[in-house]
Amino acid sequence: MSTAPPPQVKSFNCPGCGAPVVIRGFATTLSVVCGNCHSILDAKDPNFAVLQRFQAAESIQPPIPLGTRGKVRGEPYEVIGFQVRTITEEGVDYSWDEYLLFNPYKGYRYLTEYQGHWNDVTVLRTLPEVNASGARPVAKVNGEKFRHFQTSQARTTYVLGEFPWQVRVGGETTTCVDFVSPPRMLSSETTGSETTWSLGEYITGRQVWQAFQLPGSPPAPVGVYENQPSPYGGNLKEVWLVCALFLAAMVGMALFFTTFARNEEVFSGSYRFAPRTGGEASFVTDYFELKGRTSNVELTTRTDLSNNWVYFNYALINADTGQAFDFGREVSYYFGSDSDGAWTEGSLKDTAVVPAVPSGRYYLRVEPEMDANAAGVWYEILVKRDVPSMSYFLIAALLLLLPPVFLAFRSMGFEQARWRESDYPPAASGGGDD
Amino acid sequence: MRHPFYLVYGLALLGLVTMAEFRGWSLTSVNEMKDVPKSIRDNPGAYRAHYAFYPRYFGGK
Repeated sequence: MSTAPPPQVKSFNCPGCGAPVVIRGFATTLSVVCGNCHSILDAKDPNFAVLQRFQAAESIQPPIPLGTRGKVRGEPYEVIGFQVRTITEEGVDYSWDEYLLFNPYKGYRYLTEYQGHWNDVTVLRTLPEVNASGARPVAKVNGEKFRHFQTSQARTTYVLGEFPWQVRVGGETTTCVDFVSPPRMLSSETTGSETTWSLGEYITGRQVWQAFQLPGSPPAPVGVYENQPSPYGGNLKEVWLVCALFLAAMVGMALFFTTFARNEEVFSGSYRFAPRTGGEASFVTDYFELKGRTSNVELTTRTDLSNNWVYFNYALINADTGQAFDFGREVSYYFGSDSDGAWTEGSLKDTAVVPAVPSGRYYLRVEPEMDANAAGVWYEILVKRDVPSMSYFLIAALLLLLPPVFLAFRSMGFEQARWRESDYPPAASGGGDD
Repeated sequence: MRHPFYLVYGLALLGLVTMAEFRGWSLTSVNEMKDVPKSIRDNPGAYRAHYAFYPRYFGGK
């Protein structure tokens, strides 16, 4: 920037107020605005005839001053014009700023700004293909499909600098049709029988500030703009892809453990417990061997309960080391019928998994308990070593799905906020509100 | 990946579930005791378990 030559300008005095007026676009400038008295002057007229004088409620100082030079897409440009354009929706005015940038070799381009959202806009040389047959028109250009976002009537409400067209404030409105394919936006502006197409690309305020080396920081963007790229879009696809890979890895791991787990029955025994007979209820089983690495032990208890319960105090005891795993299991099974029909509650069977049991010689100490008046119960104990369990894989799969599902909801919320401002607001939003 | 958090999160989950499966971790509440005397085999009623405080419910409609 510091090495760039100073901008070449042509200046004259405003015929309306005498204030100095500058022309930077030379031959292409058709109208120029006096910033002092708001007279729009004919730049092609030798006397700079006043074409229109507009009343401005306030004098607007564009955040990027006229004459500022910067680099856009690697090319130097100078800000030569500024206009405020306004649409009215349901009686409310919405205004955005447009900066006209000029490079004598590259021509014109625009920067637009609405509530902190910026677009770098160039006029299209090709005619987009518009298909308006469906519920939502689409436009195609350079192979890219754009969805219709909004059609509005815009008017110019403030101007500064110079323009390569006969600019006017107020008066004639332009039909603006926006199509979006974030981060790009395709727009047409129709005045009378003339239609101009332009292609915009969303850029951040920080990029604009850097391009023009503006002091301070850009205003923070408000809300979601029509072609603002979703912060979740690309990332969401990656996250779903990684999620699918992890899920596949987990399925593979589950298959591996299911295939190669010992899943070996190491003990079984059937017993009868009758509390009425009295005596010592507890007993120990024969020894059994738990082989292999430290792994789980699954103990299944099957009973023939009938409208009753039984509680088992179990201890899996290592005969050699004295290490014991204590746990209690209740089995209860009730059934009957009432006004709602037949019902059952509980189960005749219970399964417990003892975690991380080292290999060795073990036995079980079993102490059943029942209601003292119960007739008794037959039960069977089955002990299995290294039983594969799918529960951890299911829990892990659910935990794995949480972030992408969360991101998907955030992404949906972002898109809903985008389309709330369009001609196609999501059903729940009840139309644009701001 | 732009945000490696999910990659780390997924790898941690995969590692954890593999370890849980390999070591045979379980959600069953178990009390581990050491040095249970060998005489328990001769006198099972003398065993003092630590499960007595577990909540027990014997239901029925």
